[in-house]
Amino acid sequence: MTCEKIQEKYADYLTGDLDEAGRAEVQAHILGCQACREDLENLTVVWAKLGVLPEEQPGGAVRARFYALLEDEKRKAAAAAVPQARSRLADWLTFRRPAFAASFSVLLLLLGLGAGWFLSAGRPGRESYAALSREVQDMRQQVALSLLNDPSASERIQGVGYTAEVKDPSDTTLAALFKAVDADPNPNVRLAAVDALYLFRDRPGVRQNLVRSLSVQSYPLVQVALIDFLVEVREARAVEALKKLIEAGELTPDVKKRAEQGLRQIAL
Amino acid sequence: MNAERPRIPKAERMAPTDNELMEDVRDGRVEKLAVLFERYQTMLYNFFLRLTGNRAASEDLVQEVFIRILKYRSGYLSESRFNVWLFQIARNAHIDYLRKQKPALPLDEKHAETPGREPLPEAAYEADREAELVRRALDRLPVNKREILVLFRFQNLKLREIAELTGVQVGTVKAQVHRALKDLSRVYLELQRGDLS
Repeated sequence: MTCEKIQEKYADYLTGDLDEAGRAEVQAHILGCQACREDLENLTVVWAKLGVLPEEQPGGAVRARFYALLEDEKRKAAAAAVPQARSRLADWLTFRRPAFAASFSVLLLLLGLGAGWFLSAGRPGRESYAALSREVQDMRQQVALSLLNDPSASERIQGVGYTAEVKDPSDTTLAALFKAVDADPNPNVRLAAVDALYLFRDRPGVRQNLVRSLSVQSYPLVQVALIDFLVEVREARAVEALKKLIEAGELTPDVKKRAEQGLRQIAL
Repeated sequence: MNAERPRIPKAERMAPTDNELMEDVRDGRVEKLAVLFERYQTMLYNFFLRLTGNRAASEDLVQEVFIRILKYRSGYLSESRFNVWLFQIARNAHIDYLRKQKPALPLDEKHAETPGREPLPEAAYEADREAELVRRALDRLPVNKREILVLFRFQNLKLREIAELTGVQVGTVKAQVHRALKDLSRVYLELQRGDLS
């Protein structure tokens, strides 16, 4: 067999995908061809050396940006679907959906308040605007809490999205997010909740709760998201939780690898 | 006797394939893209990082890939291999990135080393000088050779998948891998001897 034909087999040889007969051909050839022998030796060395390059993890912002993109896409899709979905519109108007009924009621209340301000006191001052802003924040939280209890996973993800728009969420809202991370039946909702909590990472209790969540989390993707979060904020309390998790031996190989890497990164 | 079976989390037992998820995304259930994102974001990030040497640009490119997936999702065919389709999008995003970097040069004239690779974090690389040497050698390859090695060695794409991705015969990919590895080996040895700075 010519050198050229043998060299065609090198790629499969290096990955171990070459069958027994092919390997025998390569080995027989290099016994008698010094140039090919040296060539293959060099390639084997450099192939192995490529394996020492470490895999890096993207920053947490990548995930936050992706979920913002996804929410935006879902909003667009929902907006496009409205004209065709007359029955759904009828549902909304007849308040068969409690979440929207709640938000609509609050919206009407706000409109009433706003109209009252304008009619009774002319242009509202700075304090009035601040009060109105607070009302809007409260409304978002109420809608978010309603949606987080919806049977539909996509509605619950939307609920998580509302919480991300609240500047200073109440303890009740944060508790709802912790509950979503720990117990939501849908892993996408759990992931969205972890991302939303990243925005509130400096609120007391958030990091501590997510450290605790590591020990009860069953979805591998969410485990990785929690580890990413805790590594990103360099949470020292996560070290013990990660060690226990690794020792328990119930992690998938990928999550275990990430947990071990996370331990090293937190220690840096 | 029944040996104890390993515990497999429910999410893994019932994990849908990439193709099934992408079909769902195509058919309007865009929230399924979140699962594909979690599966591929690190792989894509490292693909771009090894090509560009720039963390911020690599993060932007990961986002760009998912923007394009949403944009072109209606064109996804059920018989497609998702990873090939994904890396086709990733390659295109990288090509557009290169065009923006050097608008005056056609792609095939792009030369060896990645310009302006940002300093590496000390803890990640400085402890391992060999990894640093390999990375520098990889950086000195022309972008087409670097890309084929990254796809083959790090992204775990099969030769036939790379052939499908790049639109050439499998035999051509084998020859390209061989040449790229030979060049890498040569550059690595030169760096090791100190012939190159």
